[in-house]
Amino acid sequence: MNPDILSGLGQSTALLPLLSTCIGVLAGLIVGMIPGLTISTGIIVVLPVTFVLPPDISIALLLGLYVGGMTGGSFSAVLLNIPGTPSASATGIDGFPLSSRGEAGRALGVAITASFVGGLFSFVCLLLIAPLLAEIALEFRSEDMFSLVFFGLTIICSFAARSLVKGLLSGALGLALVTIGQDPVMGTQRFTFGEANLMAGVSFLTALIGLFAIPQIIDNLVNKDRVKFAQTKVRSVFPKLRDLIAIRIPVFIGSFTGAFLGILPGAGGPIAAFISYDYSRKASKEPEQFGKGSVEGVAAPESANNAVTGGALIPMMTLGIPGDPVTAILIGALIVHGLAPGPLLFLERGDFAYSMIFSFFWANIFNFIIAILGVRFLVKLVAAPRALLMPTVAVLCVVGSYALRNNFFDVYVMLFFGCLGLAMRWLDMPVVPMLLALVLGRQLEENLRVALVASQGDVSVFFTSPISLTFLCLSALSIVWSLKTAGKQNQTNPKEPKS
Amino acid sequence: MKFPYKTIASVVALGMVAVSTPAYAFPDGPVEFVIPFGAGGGADIEGRLLAKEMSNILGVPFVPVNKPGGGGAITYTYITNAKPDGHTIAWNSTSVLTTTNLGNTEFEYDAMDHIGRVEFQPQPFVVKGDAKWNTFAEFVDDCKAAPNTLKIANSGTGSSTHAAAIMLMNAAGCEVVHLPKGIKGRNKSVLNGEADAMIAPLTGAVNLTNAGKLKILVMPTAERSPIFPDVPTAKELGYEAELDLFRGLSVPKGTPDDVKMKLADAMAKAAKSDAFMELATAKGFTVSPTGYEEFSAYLADEDSKVKEIFKESGLYKSK
Repeated sequence: MNPDILSGLGQSTALLPLLSTCIGVLAGLIVGMIPGLTISTGIIVVLPVTFVLPPDISIALLLGLYVGGMTGGSFSAVLLNIPGTPSASATGIDGFPLSSRGEAGRALGVAITASFVGGLFSFVCLLLIAPLLAEIALEFRSEDMFSLVFFGLTIICSFAARSLVKGLLSGALGLALVTIGQDPVMGTQRFTFGEANLMAGVSFLTALIGLFAIPQIIDNLVNKDRVKFAQTKVRSVFPKLRDLIAIRIPVFIGSFTGAFLGILPGAGGPIAAFISYDYSRKASKEPEQFGKGSVEGVAAPESANNAVTGGALIPMMTLGIPGDPVTAILIGALIVHGLAPGPLLFLERGDFAYSMIFSFFWANIFNFIIAILGVRFLVKLVAAPRALLMPTVAVLCVVGSYALRNNFFDVYVMLFFGCLGLAMRWLDMPVVPMLLALVLGRQLEENLRVALVASQGDVSVFFTSPISLTFLCLSALSIVWSLKTAGKQNQTNPKEPKS
Repeated sequence: MKFPYKTIASVVALGMVAVSTPAYAFPDGPVEFVIPFGAGGGADIEGRLLAKEMSNILGVPFVPVNKPGGGGAITYTYITNAKPDGHTIAWNSTSVLTTTNLGNTEFEYDAMDHIGRVEFQPQPFVVKGDAKWNTFAEFVDDCKAAPNTLKIANSGTGSSTHAAAIMLMNAAGCEVVHLPKGIKGRNKSVLNGEADAMIAPLTGAVNLTNAGKLKILVMPTAERSPIFPDVPTAKELGYEAELDLFRGLSVPKGTPDDVKMKLADAMAKAAKSDAFMELATAKGFTVSPTGYEEFSAYLADEDSKVKEIFKESGLYKSK
C-alpha cells in the first residue's frame, strides 16, 4: 500500500487537525443554518485565520466548514422554509410540511442521517478516484491543460441560466480583469498604470471577498424582515428504524447523483439536490406523498448535496479545477500555503493530499455526531441578530483581504470588487461566472500561450492531442447539457444557484 | 534681553541625541522581515527559519511578512521606501537582480544597502530520468543537429532559472525554445515530456532526482554540489556559464553602519545555527554567509552577468 495513505491518515487523526475539523463543522452548521450567510461567506470569514495556521490544520477547518454548511442549510429549510444555503432549496419542499405538523425532529433526523450517508459515499469515491485521476493528469501538457481549463469555464453556462448574455458578460469581465499584472509569457506589465501593487495582478480571493460578502452585508442591512418559526421546539431527532428503511432508496439515488454531479464541474449542490429529488419521486412507492411531508423527499436532496462535496473535491485536488465556488476558495487557501492543487500534489506531497482526504472523512463523522447531538441547541441560533453578525463579517472582510498579502492596497481592491458586486446585483448579473473567470483565467491564458510557444504558433496541437480534443468535445457537450438542465431547474426553482 | 544661545544650543544638542539614540539602541523593537515570495515556497520556509534564529540572537521578534508580486518588485519597492533604521529588512534573492534589470522597478539593485549573503544553490540542468541523454554533450549534439526544436522549461520569463538557461545555452551554442512553465508546471512538463529539459533550483529537483524520475546532466555553478558529487559543473565541460540562486539580506539605503554590522553579525550566526544547517541538508542548499564587502562585489559581478544575458535576449528593461 502507498505509504502516503497511512501517513495522511495519521496526520489527519492528530489532535489539532481533529479539533479544527470539529470547530469547522460547528461553524459550518451555524453559517449554513443562518439564512443570509452562505458557506462561501463562512469560508471567507475564517480565511485570515487559515493563513497563519499550518496547512493541514487550516484545510481540516475549511473542509469541516464545507461539510457542516451543507447539512446546516437544511435546518433552516426545514424550520423556516428558507434554505440556509441554495443547496438546501429542495429540502424544504418536504421538510417544512413535516415541521409544520410538529415533526421537525423527525425531518431533521432524517436530513442529518441522509447527509451522513451521502458524505461517506463521496469520501469513498474521493479516496478511490482522486489518486488515479492525478496519475492520468500528470500526462497533461499545456494544450491539454488549456482545453481542460476551457472545459472548466463552461460551468459559466449553468450559472448563466437566467440570461446567457449577462452570464457571459460577467465571465468576460472576469477574464479581462485577469489580464492585469505581468504577462505570463513575456513577463511585461499589463494594465498596471505604473502601480507596483498591481504587478501581481488581482488576487482572486480578494476579489471574491468583495464580490460575495459585501453585497450580502448590504443586503442584510437593507432587508429588515423578521423571519417566523414554524416550530421552535425540536424534540428527539434520532431517526426511527421505520424511517431509515423508508429512505434507503432515495439515499442511494442521492448519494450516487450527488457524487457524480460533484465531479462534473459546474453542476454543484442545488442541481444535484433537485435531480435526486426528482428521481426519488419517480422511484418511490408513494410518489403522492412528495411535497406533503415525505421523509423520502427530505432524504434524497440531503444525501445528494452532501455527496456533492466529496465529488467536487476530486477535480479540485487532482486537476486544480474547482467544481463549485466553495472549492474555488479552497484552491486559493491551498495556494497560500504553497500547495497548489494538481496532479503533482499527489506525487510531491502525497502525505498532505491523503491527510486532506481523511480530514474530509473526519468532517463527515463529526458532522453527524455534532448535528445529531447539538441540533436542538443549534437551531436557536437561526434567529441570531443581524446587528451582531454583519459588522463582524464586515471587519473580517477587511482583515482577510489585508492578511492575504500583507498589503493594504488589497483592501481597496476588495472594496472595488464590493462595489462591482453591488452593481452586478442591481443589474441582475450573476457573479459566479466572474469568480470562475478570475480563478481559471490565468491558467487558461498561460497554457494557451505556452502551448503555442512550444508548437511555434501551430494551432492544430489543440486538436491533434487526443486529451485536448476530448476536453474540447466535452466542453461542447457541457454547454448544451448545462443550458438544458439549468432551464429545467429554472422552472422548479427560479432562484439563481449560488452556494 | 540676552539671546538664550546656551539654552537653544542645549535643546538642539539634546534633540540630536534623542534623534540618534534609537540607532545606538538597535534593536529597540520588532523587526519586519519581508519575504518577497508567497507563503510555503522555498524562499518562505528558509526565510522564516532564519528570522526565527535571528530573533533568538538579537532578543527582539523578527516578524516574517510575505509581500509577493512582480518577481520580488513589490518587496524591493517597499524596502527602498522604508525607514532606514534596521527595523525593516528584506530576505533578498537573485530576484533582486532579475526583477530590477527587467525593469519591474524604477531603480537598480544598488538602491538598497545589502547586508550579506546567507546561502546559495546551483541551478542544475535537468532531464527526465529515462531520457536518451546521459551527458550534457549528447544533449548539445542533438540540439545543434536540430536548432530551435528542443524545449527547456523555466520558472517564468525573466526568472533566475530563465537567465541561467539562456546563459548555459548561449555558452553551448544551442538554440532552443524556452518554455515559461512556472514554478509549479516546470517539473511536471519535464516528467510528461512536454519540455525536453529544464533549469530548476537544486532544492526543487532533489527529491525527484533521488527517486530516479529526473536526471541532472550539468550544473552551471562554481563547484560540484556535495549532494550530487558526480554531476560536472559547466566550467569543467568547457562552458562559461555560472549563475547561482542566492539569498541574503537587504535594508533601506542609508541604514547606519553600526546597525548593519549588528544585523550582519546576527545573520551569520543564524545561518550557522543547527536548525538552519539542518534545513540546508534536508533541502539541498549551501549555507555560506558572506560579509558586506564580499557580497557587494558578488552582487556587482552577478548583476553584470544578468544585464548581459537580458540584453542579448531582449529582456533588458523590457517593461
